[in-house]
Amino acid sequence: MTDPARLSALVYTAISLAAAALFLLAAYAAGVAYPPVARFGGAVWVFILSMIITMPIIIPYLNKRQRR
Amino acid sequence: MKQITIPVEGMSCAACVARVERALKNTPGVTGAVVNLVTGKAGVEYDPEQVSVEKLAETIRALGYRVPTAEIHLTVRGMSCAACVARVERTVAALPGVLQAAVSLPAESARITFYPGAVTPGRIKEEIRRLGYEASEKAAGQEALDREREARRAEIRRQARNMLIAWPLAILVMLGMFRNVWIFPHLVPEFFSNTLFLWALTTPVVLVAGGQFFVHSFNGLRRGATDMNLLYATGIGAAYLIATINTLWPEAGFGGKGATFFESAALLTAFIVLGRYLEALTRGRTSEAIRKLINLQPKTARVIREEREVEIAADEVVPGDVVLVRPGESIPVDGKVIEGHSAVDESMITGESIPVEKKPGDEVIGATINRTGSFKFEATRVGRDTALARIIRLVEDAQATKAPVQKLADFVAGHFIAGVHVLALIVFLFWFFYGYHAFFRPDGHFILSPYSLAEVGVFGFSLLLSVTTLVISCPCALGLATPSAMMAGTGKGAENGILFKGADAVETAAALQVIVFDKTGTITRGEPSLTDVIPAPGFEREELLKLAAAAEKNSEHPLGDAVVRGAEAAGLTPGEAEDFEAVPGHGIKARAHGRAILLGNRRLMEKEGVPFEALLPRAESLEQDGKTAMLAAVDGRAAGVIAVADTLKENVPQAIVRLKKMGLRVILITGDNRRTAEAIARQAGIDRVLAEVLPQDKAEEVRKLQNEGLRVAMVGDGINDAPALAAADVGMAIGTGTDVAKETGEVILIKADLRDVVTAIEVARATMRKVRQNLVWAFIYNSLGIPVAAGIFYPFTGLLVSPELAAFFMAMSSVSVTLNTLLLKRFVPSFQKRPGEPREGAGRPVPDPATQ
Repeated sequence: MTDPARLSALVYTAISLAAAALFLLAAYAAGVAYPPVARFGGAVWVFILSMIITMPIIIPYLNKRQRR
Repeated sequence: MKQITIPVEGMSCAACVARVERALKNTPGVTGAVVNLVTGKAGVEYDPEQVSVEKLAETIRALGYRVPTAEIHLTVRGMSCAACVARVERTVAALPGVLQAAVSLPAESARITFYPGAVTPGRIKEEIRRLGYEASEKAAGQEALDREREARRAEIRRQARNMLIAWPLAILVMLGMFRNVWIFPHLVPEFFSNTLFLWALTTPVVLVAGGQFFVHSFNGLRRGATDMNLLYATGIGAAYLIATINTLWPEAGFGGKGATFFESAALLTAFIVLGRYLEALTRGRTSEAIRKLINLQPKTARVIREEREVEIAADEVVPGDVVLVRPGESIPVDGKVIEGHSAVDESMITGESIPVEKKPGDEVIGATINRTGSFKFEATRVGRDTALARIIRLVEDAQATKAPVQKLADFVAGHFIAGVHVLALIVFLFWFFYGYHAFFRPDGHFILSPYSLAEVGVFGFSLLLSVTTLVISCPCALGLATPSAMMAGTGKGAENGILFKGADAVETAAALQVIVFDKTGTITRGEPSLTDVIPAPGFEREELLKLAAAAEKNSEHPLGDAVVRGAEAAGLTPGEAEDFEAVPGHGIKARAHGRAILLGNRRLMEKEGVPFEALLPRAESLEQDGKTAMLAAVDGRAAGVIAVADTLKENVPQAIVRLKKMGLRVILITGDNRRTAEAIARQAGIDRVLAEVLPQDKAEEVRKLQNEGLRVAMVGDGINDAPALAAADVGMAIGTGTDVAKETGEVILIKADLRDVVTAIEVARATMRKVRQNLVWAFIYNSLGIPVAAGIFYPFTGLLVSPELAAFFMAMSSVSVTLNTLLLKRFVPSFQKRPGEPREGAGRPVPDPATQ
């Protein structure tokens, strides 16, 4: 895949999904009986924040790499 | 691989072409180069990872050719914080061919230096527009004023409309949310507490009034950039989404109807919109100085064409036109008086409160006001060349530059947004996995709110704290702190006849430790004046002066001229001389009023056999004071001593005293002999003298002081001062001085009054004080606000900051920084002149403050 925009989207979405999955895992492993909504709502919030954090890092980084 | 076209100047033949091509091709990273002699352009194919455009330009310059640069000034609208500034700067600077990009948030402007041909203004504007901002080339003069005013009004109107939507609805939502508390059950109808009703009220607040935040942050995110709109969008969006889910699907498990944060979403939007509205109202006021200057420009001019008086637009006046000005009218352009007399009020340009007398030969400045008589003048500088137009450009340029301290603030603010989201994530994870279970109290509530948190579950609780952290962390106060103060400071300087060429000049001027003054033309008037007339026994003072002046009347020597002017100033009429003879290296011989007069040095007296020993003690005493003593003899008898000297300008001693009081070291530097220099320094109150310094060594002396770790300002007016002005941390050029000095200096003092050196430093110090206050305020706000919003006090008090209170604090931090800056308008320099004070330089050539 050479289009940097698509590649970036793939990378930051993957990282954010991984963060959300990690959150879910931690919520199950924490030993606290979290209601399902808290678990999934939390995972969504973690996903949104992770997207916001990673997008401005990944997009310029991959654009720069593509220019090389 | 990239292709770029670089302009090359100075090539004259095919050999030059071959040379440039070879040099470019030999540069690592260049795969091809074709140079065109006719178009003066070099087409280069290069690898941007190996070689930059700047490096290519350097290669060409190293061969002795010029690579011209161009500059454009753009108006960039739609920026809301330092992160936007950083985004625009980063994007534009990344364009191949752009050398430098400086963006100012309060001025809504960008100054971009680029290689023409390598990149076009259109491409630069396109790139800025792609980021979601409006970009247009900065208009000049009245057009700019009109456009700026219209844009400002449109922004105020837009935010006022948003306020009208957000506030009434948000208040209704709040009433509905608290309907069951205190006395509200008796006052507020029951349907107000219906969640569907609240949802219907909140939706337009979030989507219409708050829609701008979602649109801007989406535009930014699409290009991988974040700004503070994203903080608002996430905060408002999260509160609204949870409230909507809990209203429409209460069984979804997000806390149900007891956890609808409608008032959070609505008030959060309302407060942010309030902040935007207040910002739009106050932001333009810091650039009032420019507006005032532009408003000074007269619209029409009355010129004589084909022997008829016609009224034309001021911008149609051409150099050479004869312009007629009547009492009370503004002078439309710069020029030279050719007929008539008047007094002209130049206070708007020079800050001088006393009108200046104008007679034929005197220069007049456009935009000043003719007070008393009518006169005609020949236009010499029009349009963009007038003193006023150049002052406006200088002030605008200064406001578009960045002080080093601002660059740091921008960097911090630019990286803050990502940091804040990381922080919000950490806050969420902490309260979700640990904090809620360890510290949750059912009696906990928001500060200044009866809203109970008892029904909020772990997710809602953690999310609320996370959202509040996002909202309170907005770095907008940080982004406004420095540029708003710099704009107000440079404007204040311009009001007082001091032009700072850049924000860095303001910052450095505030930290000065040493002021080095050039002597001739800066401390002194730069021309000899009569200082002493000491008659020998048997002669009267007036008689001696009258005879000496008559003898010197035909002399072209500056000393003779000083004697004649001195006699005229004393009310004497010198009369005509006969048999005038200049004796080179000795003096003059002449006959006047029937008497034989000799005026010159000791050798003249010896040669003519005049006994002059009795005059020597007085002559030597005068010479000790740095004056030039001339011996006079009448009819073969020693008649007295006449002394002339370069005299101090008015107000110099007061300026020096004040500078010393401000803790600055003052030094006099001159090429003159030590005796003269020390005499002048004594009169001025300067303790340290660097005498007999050749022009080329002045810069070296400045560097020596800098090597001692001192921050040095050089004040000068001449071409010979230019190297020292350039070497100094701050070069201050006198407005009446040479163009070279003014081009070199970072600060221009429009008047020839040295008290303005004091004012310049006072304005710079006041500005930097404001910058520091603003930065401290912004940092304190963020560093205290974030932990409080993250719930640091909750375990002990059960109190939390609500998202809407966080939004209120955030709005107030921006407004308070702007209001604090506006206090700078009240700053009065210690030497603010009072009416009636004698003025210097009336009728002298008009200072030319401009440098470009």
